[in-house]
Amino acid sequence: MSIEVNDIHFNYGKIKALDGVNLDLSQGAIGLLGPNGAGKSTLIRIMLGFLSPDRGEGRILGYDIKTEQEEIRRYVGYMPEDDCFIPELDAVSFTSYLGELSGMPRQEAMKRAHEALYYVGLEESRYRKVETYSGGMKQRLKLAQAIVHDPRLIFLDEPTSGLDPQGRTEILDLIMDISSKKDIQVLISSHILPDIELTCSYVVILNKGKLAAQGEISKLKEIRDLYELKIKGEAQGFLRKLEEMKCRLEETEDGLLKVYTPPGYNRQEFFRIAAEENVQLRHFVKSQSSLEDLFADAVGVD
Amino acid sequence: MTIKEKGYAHWDGEFLDKKFPWWPITRYGIKLTFRKKFFKLVFPMSLLPAVVFLAGIYVSERLEDFKFMFRDSVPFLQIDPAYFKTYLAESFMIFIMLITVIFCGAGLISDDLKHNALQLYFSRPLKKRDYFLGKTAVIVFFLFILTLVPGLIFIIMKLIFSGSFKFFLSYPWLPLSVIAYSVLVTAFFSFYTLFISSLSKNRRYVAILIFGIYVSSDIFRAIFYENFHNHYFSLLSISSNIQQVGAAIFNQKTPHPIHWILSLLVLTAICVLAWFVLKKKVRGVEIVK
Repeated sequence: MSIEVNDIHFNYGKIKALDGVNLDLSQGAIGLLGPNGAGKSTLIRIMLGFLSPDRGEGRILGYDIKTEQEEIRRYVGYMPEDDCFIPELDAVSFTSYLGELSGMPRQEAMKRAHEALYYVGLEESRYRKVETYSGGMKQRLKLAQAIVHDPRLIFLDEPTSGLDPQGRTEILDLIMDISSKKDIQVLISSHILPDIELTCSYVVILNKGKLAAQGEISKLKEIRDLYELKIKGEAQGFLRKLEEMKCRLEETEDGLLKVYTPPGYNRQEFFRIAAEENVQLRHFVKSQSSLEDLFADAVGVD
Repeated sequence: MTIKEKGYAHWDGEFLDKKFPWWPITRYGIKLTFRKKFFKLVFPMSLLPAVVFLAGIYVSERLEDFKFMFRDSVPFLQIDPAYFKTYLAESFMIFIMLITVIFCGAGLISDDLKHNALQLYFSRPLKKRDYFLGKTAVIVFFLFILTLVPGLIFIIMKLIFSGSFKFFLSYPWLPLSVIAYSVLVTAFFSFYTLFISSLSKNRRYVAILIFGIYVSSDIFRAIFYENFHNHYFSLLSISSNIQQVGAAIFNQKTPHPIHWILSLLVLTAICVLAWFVLKKKVRGVEIVK
């Protein structure tokens, strides 16, 4: 396992940031989702050894998160969420400097910095000072510094934030290219669900410091079936009985009723309840649930 | 075909097990300091006193040749520990050191705080200790050029110019005094500068603070001394404390009639305070409790 954490607890004073998180993650691109304050960044920081958990243990690439932090950081790349750079350096010096700090020989770091900047598409502006870069270029530069030492695991914290649509597509292409390498694992923390759906096959959802869901996106989507209904008649009793059967209901503005059914739910029940409540089913379609639905279901919001 | 088109390529090199992982921080720190235009002008000027004192050593050995320049005796050209103390531990040299650390040290941590760079450092296999060592070594480099290097060169030149070991045999402890004083004053200024650099994200405020605290400590000493005529108020002044300890290290009469150990304790206390603040302020992530 590349990422293995057990019963991780972390508090910021009285605020519980992580409350017993367990993860066992291996190959591929993994999406880390959760609303603001869910504990995503805290979890990444604990895995990088920036913070020490109050309780629990874990191993990243086989190295202990409490005692072997330097080894973890040697083989892990980190692209922070915030704008961060070292002023007065051009992009090549900046990237090679961070490569050197990772333990690369000086000449190799410089060579690799050029390669990394070519890779992220900053070849033309690699001799410009980093403080003159636009937001999109800084985002690419952060990716370049995260891959300069050829890490085996890369943590990307909001990699597409602040990017225009084209820049976002290009960054996502790079992430998909990196994660297509079988020996590199990518963990992407993001609020932008379509980005996660595009780049990741596996997802971890945190909510209020707890693990709300984890698994392959395709399988998680299958857990709850989604039906779209239109009904005519007195809906109250019909809806109440669906809720009693653990269905999650959502009503759209155009009067469409989205019903997420629990595992093992027999769709004949819709017709039985409709008959009992004297309601006409005018529209009945089995639909495909999205990551957005899955996320809303996991964190308990509409 | 560009690398981008080829796709992600692995690096086939090997990581070095570096004994000094902080060295790139120092190298880049020195490089960036020399890029400052004003520093390029100021730093060579700060070496002028060393050149003058070196010339003094030369003249002291060639007094006969330069006799026409002096009317009477030339007591200031007596090369002894006092001469070294005058160069290293008088207020003009301490002031030059202060100006130097303002240029080379003010932005060392504050720039990293301003641009969120700490997380970039600490996402690498670096300990906090390595970060501090790397930053400290930048200040050490410049201050040693002003203190240790000229001090040792003076001794070597004195021996060369005189053509005998008489000077060395008279003061065998002098090289150690030069080293001890240089290390002490450099350690103090390193802690002092990094401490203040960690207090603000604005390098200009830091520069003003470094200068302001130093100068105001002297002003307070003068005000209190004028009012109460108590020499213990010299402990309030950074400059006075350094001069006191410097005089003791070079086996000279201290400028104030109080024990030099007290001054050393004050300087040490400032360093300890600085260390605690630095440890608290410098971390990989902002933690809001």
